[in-house]
Formats: sequence, structure tokens, C-alpha cells
Amino acid sequence: MGEHEARGWIRCDETAKQMLSRVLGDRAFLLLPPLHRVPLRAGNVVEITGSSPTAKTQILIQAAITCILPKTWNGVHYGGLEKLVLFLDLDCRFDVLRLSDMLKHRLLEAYRIGNGAWWQLEESNVKTQDKSKIVYDEELYVSCMKRFLYLRCYDSLELLSTLKTLHYRIRPQEACGSQVGVLMIDSIGAFHWTDRLSSSLALDKNNRKSLSLTNVVETIVQEMKKLMQVHSLVVIATKATIYEEKCPTNENNGKLSSNNAMPGNASSKAQQPPFREFMPSSWQAFVTHKIFMRKSGDYQSSGQQSLSAYSLEWLQPQLSSIDRFIVDDSGIVIVS
Amino acid sequence: MAPLKHLEMENSIIDECFRDFCASHGILTVEDFLLHDLYELAAFAEREANADRLKEGITVMLSLIELQCRPWLNGMELLEDLQRNKHTLSSGDNGMNSLLQGGYGEGQLTELVGPSSSGKTQFCMRAAASVAEKQEGSVFYIDTGNSFSARRIAQFICGGSDAAALRKRVLSRISCHTVYDIYTMFDTLQGLEVALRSQVQMNVNEYRLRLLVVDSISSTITPILGGSGSQGTCP
Repeated sequence: MGEHEARGWIRCDETAKQMLSRVLGDRAFLLLPPLHRVPLRAGNVVEITGSSPTAKTQILIQAAITCILPKTWNGVHYGGLEKLVLFLDLDCRFDVLRLSDMLKHRLLEAYRIGNGAWWQLEESNVKTQDKSKIVYDEELYVSCMKRFLYLRCYDSLELLSTLKTLHYRIRPQEACGSQVGVLMIDSIGAFHWTDRLSSSLALDKNNRKSLSLTNVVETIVQEMKKLMQVHSLVVIATKATIYEEKCPTNENNGKLSSNNAMPGNASSKAQQPPFREFMPSSWQAFVTHKIFMRKSGDYQSSGQQSLSAYSLEWLQPQLSSIDRFIVDDSGIVIVS
Repeated sequence: MAPLKHLEMENSIIDECFRDFCASHGILTVEDFLLHDLYELAAFAEREANADRLKEGITVMLSLIELQCRPWLNGMELLEDLQRNKHTLSSGDNGMNSLLQGGYGEGQLTELVGPSSSGKTQFCMRAAASVAEKQEGSVFYIDTGNSFSARRIAQFICGGSDAAALRKRVLSRISCHTVYDIYTMFDTLQGLEVALRSQVQMNVNEYRLRLLVVDSISSTITPILGGSGSQGTCP
């Protein structure tokens, strides 16, 4: 090697500061409420587990709205990411009206706050006629709804074909400027039993991959990894627990163990997951963040009827605090 | 499971040597194709003599799979579809209508849960009568507990000057099927699916099926699941 080449090889491409600013700009941290306790980056896979019903889909919708809103529009700050959301509905129960209502609420709220009319937020709960005076921006609403892409899959083969062809089919939407921000899967364990059944029907085993549960999930994980290499996206998947909790733990148990003087006791209680894991190990290794949701009694809000409250616990990374929230018209409201 | 050779008729690129190449990697059907890593397959194809043709075959397979997929809908298209195609059917009872914000939604599964003798069958029959009379649609009623009563449905139908003829017309739109086990239930539902598909092709719109009532689903499933606990004896 000549001297010039050697010097060129030693000379750096960019400084650490330049690299950090590039990476943070490209793959920025996402703070999606109510998952705001842990900032998420592109490449993270979040799994939300809970029995049914525990507001898992509501969390997805809330996160989707934060993703599709723009940062600012016409001088009003919305604090969104302006990215596409891909929603794969395996439960086939999604209600688009709920998404639309929550989006309208957010637009109205941000508009009022932006225009200094925040004091009207409380009053509008009582006087519904006032809402018609403050109209949300229709064009903004339409552009946000267009960033939400939805598809239903009725079995694993459809899911596999969707994942394989996703990259090519998203290209026309991406060409309009927006990137993909989040890939959401509602109920990853939806085809668990049918796939388990087909593994017992596997015929010719030589050299042929049977359509078994492990193979299907492995291929799903493979395809998602390839997608994450090309698009910088976060994957959020909900999972409904299929097996009944043998020993139901509640919040008081958790608090007691954290206050316990014996550290060994607390750590052993923390390591034991409160639900029975049924997804194959390839999926478990793919998941980087885990959340557990459960019902946590009723919440008496002022003057109105009692709503059921749910609690959200981060299992990975393990956080000691548990968020408690209720679901009302405008979305998820954190209570304590 | 569609074997690859069935695709040769329309796509000449899926010929004998492409199929041999796929078979050497354990791919005999379209489903096998879905389970394999396509980039890896293309890398293997590079080593073969007719690499370009094989890779073209893989691309054609991928485009065939893409044709089979559903389209991605955005939020506005979903709303339009909801407003245009999915109306709410009145349940026949004002209290139930206000609870459900209009009625039973088309394209949605509404579950009526309750202990025995709490009026679930009455609601089912009320809904059947309302849809058959007011919405001019046909009703497919699956009854598992011998609780269907045509006389009771006739009572729900509002009278008028032409009461008898109206009752006859309305009742003729409700078809009741008794099933006592889960296998007959599957058969009935699959038969219904086939009938609906052929109906769509023939465009018979006269009394299209608008309501499917299953009364009750738990009596067919609990004997299968058995055991204690609501989830049955799942291992």
C-alpha cells in the first residue's frame, strides 16, 4: 500500500458527533404514549400480552394516531411522526370508526391548545354544541387517515404471502414521500391452534418443510427481519393469552415483592412471567420489549359511571412502576 | 395445496427444469414456496446453468402470490367501505338499538352472553323478525336447542291490513336449521358459504342473506372442550 492509500485508510469517514447526529436523525427515538416509559427505536419489536379484553388494540390505535399525525400543520403543533402505519389485522375485529373518532379528538384538542383556547377543553365535555364552532382541519384529517394502511389475514398462508410481498406493494405509497414508521400486528397468536393442528398433518418429511407451527413462525420472523433491514420501522404486536392464569397475580402482590427486604425473593418473583408463553422460541428471541396488561378493578371518575381500569407493566426492560389507565372517548387516559 | 405443475398451463416459465430445481430444495407446492427464503433460493439459482430463467421463474411466482393477496386499504377507503356497504340492522327493540348505537352492524359479530333463561333466544327471534320484515332480507337461523318458534316470530311481526299475507312472506324468508353437534354446524356453515359464493356470481339480489343467527354456540362447543374452567382442557 502506498503512503496516500494508507493515510486515506486511517483518515476517518466521519466523527462520532456526525455519526450520532446522522443516526439519531435517521432512526430517531419514538415516544409513543402510553408506551412512553421506554423510548423505542427502529428495529425494536414490542410484544403486548394480555387476556381478552385488556385494551391492547386501544393502545395500538393510540400509537398509530401519534405516528400518522404530522409534527406541525398550519402553525399548530401536533407532535406526531408523519409516518405510515401498516396494520395487519389477524383478529379481524378492527373498528375504523374508533380510529376516526380518536383522531378527531386529538385534532380538536391540539387545535384548541394551539390556539390558546385550552380553557375550553373542560367546558366542551359539558356543552357539546360548542364543538361545531371549532372545526378540525378536514384536509389534515384526510391526509392522516391516508397514512394508515390496513389489511386482514384469515390464515397463516395469507400472512406469509402478505409479508413476502409487502416491500413491493408499499413502494407506490412510499414514493409519495412518507416512510413506514410502525408495523402493527393485532394478535400474533391468532392462528396458533390451526397451525398446531396442521403440524400433525405433515406428510412427506424428507427434504420438505412441513407447514408446522414452528416453521410458519420462523418464516414470519425471517420475513420481518428482512423488512426491518430495508425500512426503519418498529414492530408492535399484541398477543392474547390462550391459557388461563393458574395463580392470578394482582398489583398488591407486585408492590409487596418490590418492598420486600429479601432481594432474592423479589427477583425470583420478577423472573416468573405472569402468563404461560405459547409462542415458539424463534418469536420469543425476536421480541426485544415485552409488556403485560391486566384488568385492575374499576375506576370511579367524577360524576360519571365507573369505567374498568387496566394496568400496564413493562416486563422487558423490567420497570418497577405500573401504569394504570382507563379508556374513554378520547382514548387512553393514564390514571395513576 | 396447489402443486407447481398446475401453474405451467398459464405461465410457461414454470416449466420442468424450474420445477426440478424447486423440488431439489423441497418445494413442491405453492405453500412450500411461501415457507422458503426467496433470496436464498435466488442465490442457489445463481449456481445453476440457466440462472436467469430460474430467477425469472421466482419473480413470476412472487407476482402470482401478490395477485392472490388482498389489497392494502388506507383509512379513508375503510371509512368509505363502512358507510357504503356496512349498514346497521335494527334489532327490533329500541333499547337494544340504543345500546348498540343503531343496531347490529353488518360485517360484525355480535355476541349475546348470559345465563340460561335470560332472554337471549327472544332477542334472536326478535332480530330475525325485524330483519326479515323491515330490511327485506333473508335470515339463516341455526338452532341448537329446539328453541325456535315460528309462532313467536309471527307475534313480533307488526299487524296491518294484510296481516296474514305479510306474515307468510316474512316467515318464508327465515330458514331454520337444527344442529346438535359441532360437525353438523361446520357442514351447515360450509354449505352456506358455497351457496353464498354461487349467489354472488349469479347476482341474485332479491332476498340476499343479511342475518346469520346461531342459538347457541356454547352448547356445541362445550361438549368438545369439556373439563373445568372456561378454556377447556387445552394442553
